[in-house]
Amino acid sequence: MEEVSEEIVEEQLKGKTPKVGRSLWADAYHRLKRDKVAVVCFAVIVLYVIIAIISSFLFPNWAENYDYEHANLPPSWEHPLGTDDFGRSVLQETMLGARTSLTVGVMANIISVPLGMLLGAIAGYYGRFIDDFIVWLYTTLASVPGIIRLIAIKFAFQDVVLFANTPFEMDLGGGMSGIYIALGVMSWVGTCRLVRAEVMKIRELDYVLAAQAIGTRRIVILFRHIMPNLLHIGIIQFSLGMVGAITAEVILSYLGLGVGTGVPSWGVMISAARMDLVVGRWWELSSAVGAMFIIILALNIFGDRLRDALDPRLRTA
Amino acid sequence: MAAFVIRRIIQSIFTIFGVMLLTFVLFRLVAGDVSAQYVNPHLGREARITWLERHGLNKPLIVNSKYPFWKKKFWDTQFFNHFVDSITFRVRSYQTNELLTDIILKRGKYSLALTVPIMAIGWLLAMVISSIVAYYRDSWIDRVGVFLSVLGMCIPYLAYMIIGQWFMFQVAPTSAWGLGHRYNIYVPIMIAVIAGLGSSVRFYRTIILDETNRDYVRTALAKGVPLTGVMFKHILKNCMLPILTSLVVYIPFLIMGSLLLEQFFGIPGLGDLMLSSINARDVPIVSGLTFLVAVLYTGALLLTDILYAVFDPRIRLR
Repeated sequence: MEEVSEEIVEEQLKGKTPKVGRSLWADAYHRLKRDKVAVVCFAVIVLYVIIAIISSFLFPNWAENYDYEHANLPPSWEHPLGTDDFGRSVLQETMLGARTSLTVGVMANIISVPLGMLLGAIAGYYGRFIDDFIVWLYTTLASVPGIIRLIAIKFAFQDVVLFANTPFEMDLGGGMSGIYIALGVMSWVGTCRLVRAEVMKIRELDYVLAAQAIGTRRIVILFRHIMPNLLHIGIIQFSLGMVGAITAEVILSYLGLGVGTGVPSWGVMISAARMDLVVGRWWELSSAVGAMFIIILALNIFGDRLRDALDPRLRTA
Repeated sequence: MAAFVIRRIIQSIFTIFGVMLLTFVLFRLVAGDVSAQYVNPHLGREARITWLERHGLNKPLIVNSKYPFWKKKFWDTQFFNHFVDSITFRVRSYQTNELLTDIILKRGKYSLALTVPIMAIGWLLAMVISSIVAYYRDSWIDRVGVFLSVLGMCIPYLAYMIIGQWFMFQVAPTSAWGLGHRYNIYVPIMIAVIAGLGSSVRFYRTIILDETNRDYVRTALAKGVPLTGVMFKHILKNCMLPILTSLVVYIPFLIMGSLLLEQFFGIPGLGDLMLSSINARDVPIVSGLTFLVAVLYTGALLLTDILYAVFDPRIRLR
């Protein structure tokens, strides 16, 4: 509140008409813009996105670039981050790994956040047995904790191919779609809980009662009048869910349950390099870990700042 | 009170039934036929069918509609066998034909030896550090503490493991892997404690600071209770509720151990079993362990809810 009034005073001093009303989004944007740490983190995220996009054009056939004469070379001018067991450039692998990670993060959340919001809103608004059923559904899912849930679903997906022999063929075992779906289907619980609680509060507000009083249909109230007030939760969950999805992809790939063979991924790099430190090859491991550390740090901090800007009630102390 | 407890118990039974359904759908319906892993395809159809028969996988899926429902045969199906097997844990591994209960008894102790110290030391350290950090709120100690815990949170778990083992290998090569010495378990414990410290310190600090802003703290200070007294007598006591809940979340992992750590350090616990069964496509073991974790988790949540209701009337009356 202080920050807003300060700005109004400033504008008044300059002789302009103060802009009093400011939407939630504009307010959040102004808060974030003033926050230097958030701007730096956002820049890092944008940088990763750019790297992810250009790397697939720059090194389209990295996976086949075998060069056994130059295998396991330490960093040099020619290979800035050294080479791996097959003589492929680690720098290129790391950059392509960013593409894999970010795609997984975005795709998993594109599935899980809308799913969680939809189920949460329906449960919170309609109540009674619909609520009971959805609560039962997510309690069941949540009772298999963390990584075991993901391992279990990837295990089940191993031999599954959806829509085989059609243009929409999806290999859930070895392909990327398996990871998107596994992560998406298994990580909507948090969003659903938050949204459900919020809808139960909003449902009792006067404007909803007014809409009901003039005879608006319930489904219209839910999607036109309540949903827009939940969007900020979706955005916060999306940005924080990226961290979870990227970490999960790395762990799954490390265990051999993630991306298929030949797909560059930080998890595969860490898995390939896990015994390398003993023989003094540090570059593959440290590039994967370093790349992952920076993006996770940026996403974590940016997600926290975004939450603070969008939802002042949730602000961390 | 009784109504609340009964309602929670019924809810938990539904949840456990749901998990049984989930494991059935995932491991029997979605995962499909795993016989190719155990029967050489060159042996032909006969061998495969014998294998399926031995493990009861050629029975009808949900009900045997050839018989009326009062006959025992009607219920002798994959679904109901899975139901009974899940609850009794009397399944046999496809690989070794051992009973799951025997395997749990044999391997569980290694997991416990790993996870109980992790939980105890981790909790104690996180409590101490977060109390110190919260006590010096807004000073440089606080800022450095928060900064370090955010950094610690963002370092991948795998990096802790690999670098920790490499470090141990430099110091004492024989202690870096396996259970040759009793003290080999110290390294994984230390790694897990350090890796988990960042997020718990940050979480506990937020809870403690939330509590510090309450009215009763101001009243206590106004009455002249010294600051340390308020901190340790009033605030910490009230913080225990959320902190205990966060510990309950860890209970299933007490038995399951730490999946990645056990595999990486060659500790023959249940987490290691889970991962090797995944690779061998040993469905009964994977399904049984998943169910075990879910039951433990649900039971622990039920217990905390009942204990809360006993100790905190605000929850009981809702």
